[in-house]
Amino acid sequence: MARALKFNYRDTELAAEMQKVDRSKLYGKVDVETLDDQGRPCTLATLASDGRTLIGKGGSALGVVSFDGKWLERGKLTPVDLQGEKIEPVPSSFSAPIALEETATIEEYLSHLVRSAYQLDLGEAGAPLLEALKEGTIFTFKYSYRGGLEYDQAFLLCNPDGVPFMLVGTPADIKFVGLAEETGLSDEDEEEAGGDDDDLDFSMM
Amino acid sequence: MRGIKLMNSKGRDADVASTSVRHTSRVRWLDDQGRQVRNVRILKSTLDHDLDRLLEEHGDPAKVADAMVEGDPEIDFEQYGSYLEDTSRVYVDPDRKILYSVQEWEVVRTPEGEEKERRPRVVSQANAGIEAPLRWSGKLLKRNAVYNRFMFALKQQLVHVNGLTYDFLFGIAKELEDKDSLMLVGAGPKSNQPLIFQRNGTAYRGFLEGRTQGEKYCLLLHLSNMELKGLPA
Repeated sequence: MARALKFNYRDTELAAEMQKVDRSKLYGKVDVETLDDQGRPCTLATLASDGRTLIGKGGSALGVVSFDGKWLERGKLTPVDLQGEKIEPVPSSFSAPIALEETATIEEYLSHLVRSAYQLDLGEAGAPLLEALKEGTIFTFKYSYRGGLEYDQAFLLCNPDGVPFMLVGTPADIKFVGLAEETGLSDEDEEEAGGDDDDLDFSMM
Repeated sequence: MRGIKLMNSKGRDADVASTSVRHTSRVRWLDDQGRQVRNVRILKSTLDHDLDRLLEEHGDPAKVADAMVEGDPEIDFEQYGSYLEDTSRVYVDPDRKILYSVQEWEVVRTPEGEEKERRPRVVSQANAGIEAPLRWSGKLLKRNAVYNRFMFALKQQLVHVNGLTYDFLFGIAKELEDKDSLMLVGAGPKSNQPLIFQRNGTAYRGFLEGRTQGEKYCLLLHLSNMELKGLPA
């Protein structure tokens, strides 16, 4: 059963069932099969730096160590922001109704990197909200699926067919630049541009 | 920052730069003495000690269990727990041998998961960089008509590299802002091919948006590979 978020809109509480939308559900997907020269399926493994140790799926784990290499339990660590102030964990957005009070402009919405899209079923109680969304209103609020250290930003809007969606993302680090800004490519950047490192490299296709 | 060649509405092209606008996490972790910690990747198990390998050696699960009680054949005490750095991804065959040549096949599946087509994998080549310009398509989409049609998962900010390209990009940003539109950006001579930024990379549709603020500008290339449409019933 789809999970439901609760919203408060104009003093009415409503539950919105969410269904994640991704490329595979809309267009299908392409799996890649890798075979050896005898037609047998191959698997990906990790080769350690010694050039001979092979590590299979699940053969490694992340740990946390102190600056002098001592093992640390994650539960005993303290999260802080860049100024060193302790970060208080944020609750899951499913733990309490979300008040829909703040709206966003198209420009504000377009200034975010959208990571997830959910189709919403607002039900009968959501008719006034759906009407507002169809008129082009974009509602925005802080959102966290499980709870954690930082909120994401969520936006409620309708597509041109009148289907309501919730888009979840993070603010993009964009800025206005003037003539005096130093934005040019350095020699190092030129090397990077030709290298394998690529912010756009993620396997959605 | 990477180089990119862009054309304006007058057909003039220039080499400019594009920067990532990805949000970076602002969370750091401290130990109980207030010192910053670091993440490490630890070796947990290797292919030559996994269950398949032990079954090959001992025959059946009961004998593997006996061996594990008597000794610790599943653990390499010399290696397990060591830090992993500078690793590589490799293909291995069912005999756990590294392969230096493989055949790759693409299996195309419908949204319901059914196999539709099977074909040799074709490696796509990058088409958005400094070799060929991204042409001015002239296909303008009103901002309020496009923002809810696509999921914009990625963005690049285009910036100047010298005084001349400042004028060039400011002009493009101003032109798009005045028209309150995003321009469809594609690769190829007709600007109709999806943008691919690196070999075998994901293909995206590009939408160029311009904003200005006095003498400053912000030129964003929004990237999308998914329409915002309802799921099939």
